[in-house]
Amino acid sequence: MKSFSNGAKNGRARYLLGSVKKQPVVLILIVISVAFSICFPDRFLTYLNISSIVSQFVTIMLFALGPSIVAAMGSMDLTYIGIWMLGGIVLWRLTPTLGPAAILVIPVLGVVTGWLVGVIQVKAKIPSFILTLSLLVAYSGLTSLLSGGYPRIVRGYEFITAPLIPYVPTELVWTVPLIGAAVFIMRSTKVGTYLYAIGSNEEGAQLAGIDVQRYKILAFTISGLFTGLGSVIQFQHLGGSVPLALNLNTMVSPLVAIVLGGTLLTGGSGGPDRTILGALTYVVLYRGLYISFLSPEVLQLLTGLLLVVSVVIASRELRSVIVT
Amino acid sequence: MAVPVLEVKGVAKTFDRVVQALRGVSIAVNENEIVGVVGENGAGKSTLMKILVGVYPPDAGEWYYKGTRTSFPKNPNEAAKKGVAIVYQEKGVIPALKVYQYLFLGHEDKYMKFPRLATTEMRRRAREITDEFHITCDVDQFMYELPLSTQKMIEIARAILGLRLEHGNDHAASVVILDEPTAPLTIEERQGLFSYILDMKKTTSFILVSHMMHEVLEFTDRVYVLRDGSLVAHYDLSRESVTEEDLFKAIVGKTSFEHAARDEGPAVPGEEVVLETRSLTKRGSYYDVSLELHKGECIGIFGPAGSGKSEIVKTIAGLMSFDSGTLMVKGEVARAGEEPHVRLTRGVGYFSGEIERQLFFNWPVKENISIVNIDKVLRRRGRIINFNAERQMAERITARLKIRTRDVNANCRSLSGGNKQKVSAGRWFERNPDILLLEDPTIGIDVGARKDIYEALKEMKSRGMSMLLVSDDPKEYSILCDRVVLIKNGRLQREVDSREFTEAMST
Repeated sequence: MKSFSNGAKNGRARYLLGSVKKQPVVLILIVISVAFSICFPDRFLTYLNISSIVSQFVTIMLFALGPSIVAAMGSMDLTYIGIWMLGGIVLWRLTPTLGPAAILVIPVLGVVTGWLVGVIQVKAKIPSFILTLSLLVAYSGLTSLLSGGYPRIVRGYEFITAPLIPYVPTELVWTVPLIGAAVFIMRSTKVGTYLYAIGSNEEGAQLAGIDVQRYKILAFTISGLFTGLGSVIQFQHLGGSVPLALNLNTMVSPLVAIVLGGTLLTGGSGGPDRTILGALTYVVLYRGLYISFLSPEVLQLLTGLLLVVSVVIASRELRSVIVT
Repeated sequence: MAVPVLEVKGVAKTFDRVVQALRGVSIAVNENEIVGVVGENGAGKSTLMKILVGVYPPDAGEWYYKGTRTSFPKNPNEAAKKGVAIVYQEKGVIPALKVYQYLFLGHEDKYMKFPRLATTEMRRRAREITDEFHITCDVDQFMYELPLSTQKMIEIARAILGLRLEHGNDHAASVVILDEPTAPLTIEERQGLFSYILDMKKTTSFILVSHMMHEVLEFTDRVYVLRDGSLVAHYDLSRESVTEEDLFKAIVGKTSFEHAARDEGPAVPGEEVVLETRSLTKRGSYYDVSLELHKGECIGIFGPAGSGKSEIVKTIAGLMSFDSGTLMVKGEVARAGEEPHVRLTRGVGYFSGEIERQLFFNWPVKENISIVNIDKVLRRRGRIINFNAERQMAERITARLKIRTRDVNANCRSLSGGNKQKVSAGRWFERNPDILLLEDPTIGIDVGARKDIYEALKEMKSRGMSMLLVSDDPKEYSILCDRVVLIKNGRLQREVDSREFTEAMST
């Protein structure tokens, strides 16, 4: 009897340990939050800092939602910055003629881009990483071309981020349902299950009777839709202006959030829900280091190192899997 | 008789203190000889080979090189110094390298002209080698440009070359292990490879590990048969005449057929033809295959590995295309090049024993079962999963197939091999397709799990499911099939009923 209860206790302890092992990032998040609160009590837990954390969290989540769906399927989608930039500049061109309805151009651009990436990737059988990276560069070029060489400010869309609820940033109010929709699609629908299946074992998915090509195209299209919808908010969130230069940091942070959250870029696990944790952890760490007066260069260095560490941690799960 | 080049005695190996992979096996290889090693999957062949090349240390045993006792090699490098090398079944060739680069891979330091490689010298030497071994290729060609059989020849040449470089002597006696060398090759390419190996025999000894009985009988000088980790037979083919049936019986064990006897009379298959092939041909794999599968019937296609049997099943599953002929599923023409998901909507399921290809190891058991049956657990509206229904379905299946798991949320990787395979079988048990293709459905699992899978398959059959079986295990045909079609070199031979087949195999 004694050994039995002992065993049960052991089992529960092991289960707890196991879930922390599965999501080591929860532990990291708690530890760094506590540590920063103790080290910088007068700077970390302030209204200003917390609203910065929320603001940066929104930025990262809006960019990372689509790609984290694609990453769970074992592919890569880097077009998000491109959709945001190109969408913004097309909006600048169209607003004078179309009025506020022109804002719809961004989601449309997202869906079309995603669909195009999916079709090319499936038909030409090329790695999605290099394909979407190339497309990103092309979009960035097109943005410069359409802008006439100057960063542009688009007015008339301030209503997107107009205050709705006191103390709660409106960006966050719009972002939460988007995150909810992405998590719901991935966790509770047939489409989501099939995408995880493809990411976990593509041949197995094929043998289970899944139309792998069709669902791959669908995944990129969904990703494009989320990036497009996200970019509408992002556009106003980041000041309603269109930059012309690719910012490495803006591009890499969503990837760090995805990997840190535990979505292996080889697919089959993680997803948007895990990315929430990853984004939160990343932002807390970033802000914590920021208020400790480290220079931006050092912050960038640490971001890169963090990516390496999180990839190593995330891929421990992969030990017995052959990565292809 | 001359002293053998290599001899091992009483080799034993136990894994995890329980699984006895080898129980005191002794084999010898003479100079200029090809020795065959055959046995079922799990009989201990590959464990023995891995011990010979130093991948595993043995628990017990003696190693003699030309009659002198030395120790077992501790790693593949040391094995090479002792004159033993292996050519694995797959993944040995590096397609992106040129022939001469591949030949000297790992031995570049012998051709260094600091700071660069002496490529001219390497090319010249490589040309000498390809000439010596009668390989027709240009040393500047890329490996991927060459036919598979030539790639295999170069791989073998590279193994021999490696041994010579280790010895620094072109004529040291050496042993090269060939693990299923012809598995990926077409029938025509196999002939070419073997005439090459027979030619190489003048300077090198070979150990041939193969499932293909006719190859073993035709090309080896002596054959060792392993079963359950023990040596059960040894034939000297120059003195005794041995047939494929003799080998099969030695491999499987005579008595095992009695256990395998059917416990019920053959079910009466329906009249309706659910699957039909007319003159189906895939050049290099099978030719002119015509079959009719009735409702509720199980047909076995029996032949040695490489006879085209598994390619036929893969074609019907949608994993391979065909060149000519007609494939009809339930009266409708199925085009060549249809994907597996199209074939599944036609009612064709594919169950292979290679579970790592089919299952999602990082997923819970329940999702592994529901992925094939997802439409049954969706809510009426939308494509939203009803997690309760999913769990109940999985619980029903695990109970029915006696799948031993903590619960249906347990990760599939944590299950034993036999239970993993039952999960894979459980998918199809729930899905209940009209036709289920079986490829080695119980490969590499223990007797208890086998029995459960056979029972499940029989129940599916009694529901009216039709099946097509290919396997390396003749017992399986006796247990599952109503009739068996024999195949050889890609062409169907005669047809026997289940009883005839069992008798032919067990007498």
